[in-house]
Amino acid sequence: MDLLSEYYSHQTAYDELINTERQTRPVAQTLISHLAHLGIDTIKARRQAAEAAILAMGITFTVYTEAGNIDRAWPFDVVPRMLAYNEWQRIEAGLKQRVRALNCFIDDLYNAQSIVNDGVFPRAVLKSSRNFRAICRGVHPPLGVWAHICGSDLVRDSDGTIYVLEDNLRVPSGVSYMLENRQIMKRLFPELFQICKPLPIDDYTSRLYDTLAAISPRARSRPIIVVLTPGIYNSAYFEHSYLAQQMGAFLVEGTDLFVGRDDIVYLKTVSGPQRVDVIYRRIDDDYLDPEVFRSDSVLGVRGLMRAWIKGTVAIANAPGAGVADDKVVYAFVPDMIRYYLNEEPILPNVPTYLCMREEDRAYVLEHLDELVIKPTNESGGYGMLIGPRATPEERHRFAQRIQEDPRNYIAQPTLALSTAPTLVGDRLEPRHIDLRPFILQADELYVTTGGLTRVAMQSGSLIVNSSQGGGSKDTWIVDLGDLPCFPA
Amino acid sequence: MLSRIAEHLYWMARYLERSEDMARLINATTLLLLDLPPKAEFGWDILLRIAGIAELYETRYGNLDEQRIMGFLIADERNPSAIVSCIHQARENSRTFREILPSEFWERLNSLFLFVRDYASASIGNRHDRYAFLSEVIARRHALVGLLVGTMSQDAAYQFVKLGRNMERADMTTRIVDVTTAVILPQRDKLQATLSESLWIGVLRAMSAFEMYRRHVSVEVRGNEVVEFLIRDRKFPRTVYHCLGEMEVALATLPANSAAQGALRRGRKRLDQLDLADLNSAVLHEYLDHLQQDLGSIHRVIHRQYFDPLHRDGSTEDAVARGLADESPGPLATTQFQQHAAF
Repeated sequence: MDLLSEYYSHQTAYDELINTERQTRPVAQTLISHLAHLGIDTIKARRQAAEAAILAMGITFTVYTEAGNIDRAWPFDVVPRMLAYNEWQRIEAGLKQRVRALNCFIDDLYNAQSIVNDGVFPRAVLKSSRNFRAICRGVHPPLGVWAHICGSDLVRDSDGTIYVLEDNLRVPSGVSYMLENRQIMKRLFPELFQICKPLPIDDYTSRLYDTLAAISPRARSRPIIVVLTPGIYNSAYFEHSYLAQQMGAFLVEGTDLFVGRDDIVYLKTVSGPQRVDVIYRRIDDDYLDPEVFRSDSVLGVRGLMRAWIKGTVAIANAPGAGVADDKVVYAFVPDMIRYYLNEEPILPNVPTYLCMREEDRAYVLEHLDELVIKPTNESGGYGMLIGPRATPEERHRFAQRIQEDPRNYIAQPTLALSTAPTLVGDRLEPRHIDLRPFILQADELYVTTGGLTRVAMQSGSLIVNSSQGGGSKDTWIVDLGDLPCFPA
Repeated sequence: MLSRIAEHLYWMARYLERSEDMARLINATTLLLLDLPPKAEFGWDILLRIAGIAELYETRYGNLDEQRIMGFLIADERNPSAIVSCIHQARENSRTFREILPSEFWERLNSLFLFVRDYASASIGNRHDRYAFLSEVIARRHALVGLLVGTMSQDAAYQFVKLGRNMERADMTTRIVDVTTAVILPQRDKLQATLSESLWIGVLRAMSAFEMYRRHVSVEVRGNEVVEFLIRDRKFPRTVYHCLGEMEVALATLPANSAAQGALRRGRKRLDQLDLADLNSAVLHEYLDHLQQDLGSIHRVIHRQYFDPLHRDGSTEDAVARGLADESPGPLATTQFQQHAAF
């Protein structure tokens, strides 16, 4: 197998497709033998075709640089990442369990706060929470759900264990790229779909529509749903317009909406004001309503919180849901699952040290060179310290920051993220990956079949965020039945 | 359809029309100057007066020389009616609805923007380069209109583009007639009469109307007949009458159109009332003034009805009785702030 002859020498971590005995894992058997059959030149030609398709389809994301904002073509690798259906079923169950517990938690925090009163979740953490919105106290959103759309990041460590790295409950993005990746793969490798039979993913936008429709305050066969975007300069604008288009919803900016004296949200249309039932917001709480949050916000809608509290409009994700999008809160998710659901967590957390705890902090400061330090409220991979790769000066600086504001930092052991074969130049090389599935909750729970696999394109790098040069792959869940199917 | 999108479509069309009209005016005026006798009292400032930006120019430059006026009309971004500004604003207005128009439209508009940005300044200096540049702007703008006419469903979005284009065009036609008549109507001597004919030919050429006038009106070019033609001809696409008719057709397919149709009917009625038999400068100027006000109120009704639904019921009566020229800088994209949400 020429295709992979050099691959093994680069292999340093758990590989999703190739095991340590230089054998293809059962899940990837047909894929790898087909790729070998095609040969590297054909694969490269398909990559070129993929790039042309991405340009033609206008799949872009925006990157901020000092020179201004640039629309970049979406970075995409043609070799899919494979997962077996029986493994996926467990992950799916674990994700549903997590999101159920997280929604119980958010609802509890804004109402009875029994988890705090029972001493399971520290009051001090709640008090210092940056994303807790006091104005949401006592609100009961439809179905008791606050985080309707969640994007959880999963990683696989060297022993093969899948860990949840974080849950994104504010405005998680990436799902449109997951869908577009699949479209591109179908164009490029139609024959592979026939032999590998990955499970379909394209029902996501319908399920998203169902989720949003389920929380409509008015019982209508077709509620008025809008996607609220900060506008064309947002990095995820492509996704906002894609989702709106796919759902047949309005793509709106704050100025397209207003709240009437009747505390109802209206859309400004050429046929006059039209009542809005559900807002899928893609802007942060801070900018949602200048009457309540940042008064200088021009992105939001004055009076929106009044309407939401009164229940005339539903907002997904609900304001205040971000309280659970905090890396300290993350550490308590297993406890939440036990507390609210009376179940054992199916998916493990990455072991997490809370710097606010004195003994954890002492340990962290001692072991800065082994740990990854993360600020609790940043997203996009910003503001992190990867201990083993940092200079002594950087570690020193972080030690100071931790001591100044321990609540704001957590630490985790550096995981050896699993790798997957990725086309780099003229050959396949292992690259570290993670996986972001999307979980929907309203009257039902739904998990995307797979998710967005993100790839650290630099050799050895662990940074997968697209805003920092990461790439992506299509994710294939394949049903192997009960038995692994090794070749004859 | 969202009010914001409708408004951006309308203004995009207006700005594109304005850029083309300005390019035509400059080209025609340049050709006209070549024919004029040396003593003729006519200068480049007529262009500033037509565009309604003479005062703005005055505060900025003072001196009325060709070079500066051309720079101001073509390449000065601080002048909202300059060709660069119009095309820049049209592009900004179109950015938020790329999916509503045929995708080719955005590419072509973007490339027109890049062309103008790169070559505008260099076109000011000599008349030859300027002519080539302006002709290219006109040709590319024609391609944009043709693209929409040829490939776009005649839905509400299309109608707002059509409204904007015809509103701007009618406005420009009345301005041109108004300023030209003010310049030349008193025909005192023979030189003045010759000058008059040249100017009216120039006006017809600026509007690509010369051949149609010849065919449908007269071989001779006489002021009152040109005015009659440009204001009231039923068939020529740049006349005020025709533009109002196009707007009426566009409005007919839009919801809740009675107020706007009413304003249009009042405008058309005024067109019918004009008696061109004994044309005199003061009467005509007053008449054109009224016509401009009619266009202004049509614009305001459209604005209130479709772009500003909050004020539609009259609770916040728009008390500003501004002329259309004052309203010219329409909305740029309202989204020129940096993003805030997290990725």
